[in-house]
Amino acid sequence: MKEKGNTAAVTARTPVIGLPRALLYEREAVMWKAFFSSLGMRGIISAPTNREMLRLGAEAAIDEVCLSTKIYLGHVRSLFGKCDLILVPRVSNYGLHRNMCTKFESLYDLVCNVFRNTGQRFLAYNVDVLGGISEEKAFVDLGMALGFGRKDAVRAFRRAGRAAAEDWHKKISREERLYRTDQIKVLVAGHSYLTEDAYIGRPLFQYLEEMGVVPIRADRVDRKEALRQSVRVSPTIKWEMSRELLGSIQMHKSKVDGLILMSAFPCGPDSMVNEMIIRKFPDIPILNIVMDNQDGTAGLETRLESFTDILKLKRGEL
Amino acid sequence: MKEAYLGIDIGSISTKGVIIDKDNQILASEYIWTEGDPMGAAGKLISALEKQFDKETYQIVATGTTGSARKLVGAMVGATIVKNEITAHAVGTTTLYPEVRTILEIGGQDSKIILVEHGIAVDYAMNTLCAAGTGAFLSSQARRLGVEVEDFGRIALTSKHPTQLAARCTVFAESDLVHKIQMGHTKEDIIAGLCRSVVSNYINNVGKGKKILSPVVFQGGVSKNIGVVEAFRKALGCDIIVDENGHLMGALGIAILAGKANARRTFDFSVEDMAFRTREINCGRCPNNCEIICIYRDDMLIDSWGNRCDKGALKAGIRTGVRTMAKN
Repeated sequence: MKEKGNTAAVTARTPVIGLPRALLYEREAVMWKAFFSSLGMRGIISAPTNREMLRLGAEAAIDEVCLSTKIYLGHVRSLFGKCDLILVPRVSNYGLHRNMCTKFESLYDLVCNVFRNTGQRFLAYNVDVLGGISEEKAFVDLGMALGFGRKDAVRAFRRAGRAAAEDWHKKISREERLYRTDQIKVLVAGHSYLTEDAYIGRPLFQYLEEMGVVPIRADRVDRKEALRQSVRVSPTIKWEMSRELLGSIQMHKSKVDGLILMSAFPCGPDSMVNEMIIRKFPDIPILNIVMDNQDGTAGLETRLESFTDILKLKRGEL
Repeated sequence: MKEAYLGIDIGSISTKGVIIDKDNQILASEYIWTEGDPMGAAGKLISALEKQFDKETYQIVATGTTGSARKLVGAMVGATIVKNEITAHAVGTTTLYPEVRTILEIGGQDSKIILVEHGIAVDYAMNTLCAAGTGAFLSSQARRLGVEVEDFGRIALTSKHPTQLAARCTVFAESDLVHKIQMGHTKEDIIAGLCRSVVSNYINNVGKGKKILSPVVFQGGVSKNIGVVEAFRKALGCDIIVDENGHLMGALGIAILAGKANARRTFDFSVEDMAFRTREINCGRCPNNCEIICIYRDDMLIDSWGNRCDKGALKAGIRTGVRTMAKN
């Protein structure tokens, strides 16, 4: 009896989950939070990216990985000692021609390997629809791995799915309203982990707003419709997130004054997809911006300012 | 007193200035090397312009700065408008050449293309944050070949069989170049090959997906290289206009923009005698540690920038920063 009591005491303390505020966080945060909280678990989120985190991440990474992966490693490291398990999902694909960039498939192994001697424990879930693991199965397995029953895990997944859909719907309708303003509008096509990053992407949005331009996020779009539209531009493109952006550009190209392509150096999918976009959409002014961990913002400001000047000149407002 | 407008273009390599009247006629112009000291160069430029300028008839009522040191010199001269060089070049060129459809520009660090319709810039592209195929690339290759970069064009035109060179990346181009020299290619063929690779690099990178229509105006320091001009002419199959005053386009454009804008402030030539100083401080108020540049005129803070958020904002007019520095 005594022993049994002891075991209960140990399991009663539920582990705290650490969520790195990078890569899939912007896309999946609502889902994750709702899933863990409906299982009664607590979580902690890393702080918005700053220079120190980027430095830590770049230090931990080999230099061939992309800027966003370096940032991710910085976030993971900043959570050490603050939680029991750090969530590092492994997402391969959502179906045919719906692959994620390879880094999302390798992320868990990469993180475990980079931080192998730190004693930190990590938590994964695996999505691989082509390999027979749907998102639901991935989350249910995750819940069961944490010691919950199948029924509880399924319920938590469904609840989380509803919360995420509701949140997404709100975000899209907010973004859709922006297309109706009379001000100069620029569609910013970049992965959400880049556009929403406090250190890398947000300054670009602030700068555009200071210049009286309304930046609109291309990734905040009805995803199903965007995937459909993307096929009209390219039937063979492989990556899910590139498809969403491509479809969004196709849907909104006539509603905006210009398009900014924002990518992280050296992003593999973007290096091909953005080249294609520049050639496929010759009728809309396009600015291609590649972000790296340079400290100087002068090059960026010059490019943004001149781009918006051109858009203003075109409207006769300069 | 008639109105006049001053435009200053401070690039990484050279500093250019013009003073124009209401009808965009050039009253004074000057072109000097920046030599790594933009504020010093601006001071020299202003005193040179002052000598050419008729202060009895005209008064400078608006000042504009452009180029990579536009902010710094803008704060120094009290500019009424500070604008990037692309806009300035577009405005300057379309004023002189209202018919122009394409502006090609290759400078010391940047290369860009501006497309124009009915005298208005409608689209542009710029090299990504890498200086491959720009003036800096040509200068460093000239040094390697032991040739003055000014002679490049003349030598290139003597070549009959330009050498094929990798031009995508300066590092690759350099190793390819060394290899070709060692294989016995002649200097003029290699130089002509370099000029050609600058052009093909430009068309494939900066000009990709853009429709280059005639008339074409070619500007920037590299436009002085007749080898590159010739290579552009062959590659595009049309005439290339290189204006004798092409280097002044940015300064002219920003002077025109200063005149058009509403802001007015009489320019005082005495700035050339004032002492300006800059100082870099590291903001310690958050982990971003922004590098903030402070600029002082006669020990008074007149401007600062580089802070990513309000925590690092400094108020112009304070002297405290200088006093603590004096103690140190």
